[in-house]
Amino acid sequence: MTSLLRDKYAVVGVGYTAQGRVPGRTSLSFHLEASANAIKDAGLDKDDVDGFICYRQFPADSNENALTPAMIAQHLGIAPTYISQDAN
Amino acid sequence: MQHAVGVLESGLCRYVLISYGHNALSGDSMRRMLMELSGDDAVFGHFGATGGYALAARRAMHEFGTGPETWKKIAVGQRKWANLNPAAMMFGKPMTEADYDKARWVVEPLRLPDNCLITDGGRAIIVTSLERARDLKQPPAVIMGMGQDHPSTAVAQSDWMAGPTGARKAGETALAMAGIRLDEVDACEIYDCFTYTVEITLQDYGFFKPGEGRDWLQGGTIEPGGSMPVNTSGGQLSEAYFMGLTPIAEGAMQIMGRCGKRQLGPETRTKSPEIIMISDNGGILESHSCILLRRW
Repeated sequence: MTSLLRDKYAVVGVGYTAQGRVPGRTSLSFHLEASANAIKDAGLDKDDVDGFICYRQFPADSNENALTPAMIAQHLGIAPTYISQDAN
Repeated sequence: MQHAVGVLESGLCRYVLISYGHNALSGDSMRRMLMELSGDDAVFGHFGATGGYALAARRAMHEFGTGPETWKKIAVGQRKWANLNPAAMMFGKPMTEADYDKARWVVEPLRLPDNCLITDGGRAIIVTSLERARDLKQPPAVIMGMGQDHPSTAVAQSDWMAGPTGARKAGETALAMAGIRLDEVDACEIYDCFTYTVEITLQDYGFFKPGEGRDWLQGGTIEPGGSMPVNTSGGQLSEAYFMGLTPIAEGAMQIMGRCGKRQLGPETRTKSPEIIMISDNGGILESHSCILLRRW
């Protein structure tokens, strides 16, 4: 049985960052770089983004605060009407 | 992805950003996480993700006769893809089957190249409606089907170490939603925390019968030039580990036709991809998500 959702939604942008061994960077900084690049890649403005989902994530480094999607959205300068953190 | 589609379909959102970022290689959090994965059986030497997957892989060796001869084809095949991807952590580091055989054990029966990488970096995607996608910059990677299944028993008490894992039902659900058969899939991007995860996922999706993976993988099936390319960025074994966003991002980029020297099609002597099957799994094979993306 096909679904009404079939062929209705799409991935339209992908954001990459430096990757490998990249010392001196916070996990937050990688979220911000990947997110900004994905928005740009799609040809969108950051104000267009009204939903933000943090992928499931590992515990924070002992030198960093645990990340929340609200914190990432704030640093990214977006004001989504829906935010969420996916569970592991 | 189902979460994103849910809030789009409900009308709560128009453009959903999904993001992942982690200083996993330079920081200390992976070590902490792996210690948190330990239970009371740590006193008997069972702890960490490799321990859990090694337990499952060992059971699969007993149940359907798999083993390193199968897994090495996956590790070596994915490394070939990584060597076409300048951003991959293992770019410029080719690996032969003899190299695999010589690699050290992490937890028997899994050797170092059976384990995924630990990566500093991040990855993000944007999901929106196909209607809105038409006005945007990139060709859309259209979501055809999705499915989830979560056996969710701790691995040591489970009865699915040798499959069927959640991949069986999740794959069937995604194919049913898309209204296609498995043989219409042109390539796969499989969540590959370990080589065995790739084998059991492909097996549970139905690409081959239990234990027939070793034969199915012969002759470079999943490699550049192969009939069913798998993990074309190098995957988490050889490109970078960003949880499910490693396979999803690569599936989308392949569908968009933006993968340079590793692009599926004439460049790599493979089928130009119309449909790509993508997986994610969590815990020790405890949760599974399948997505089918298509060219539009």
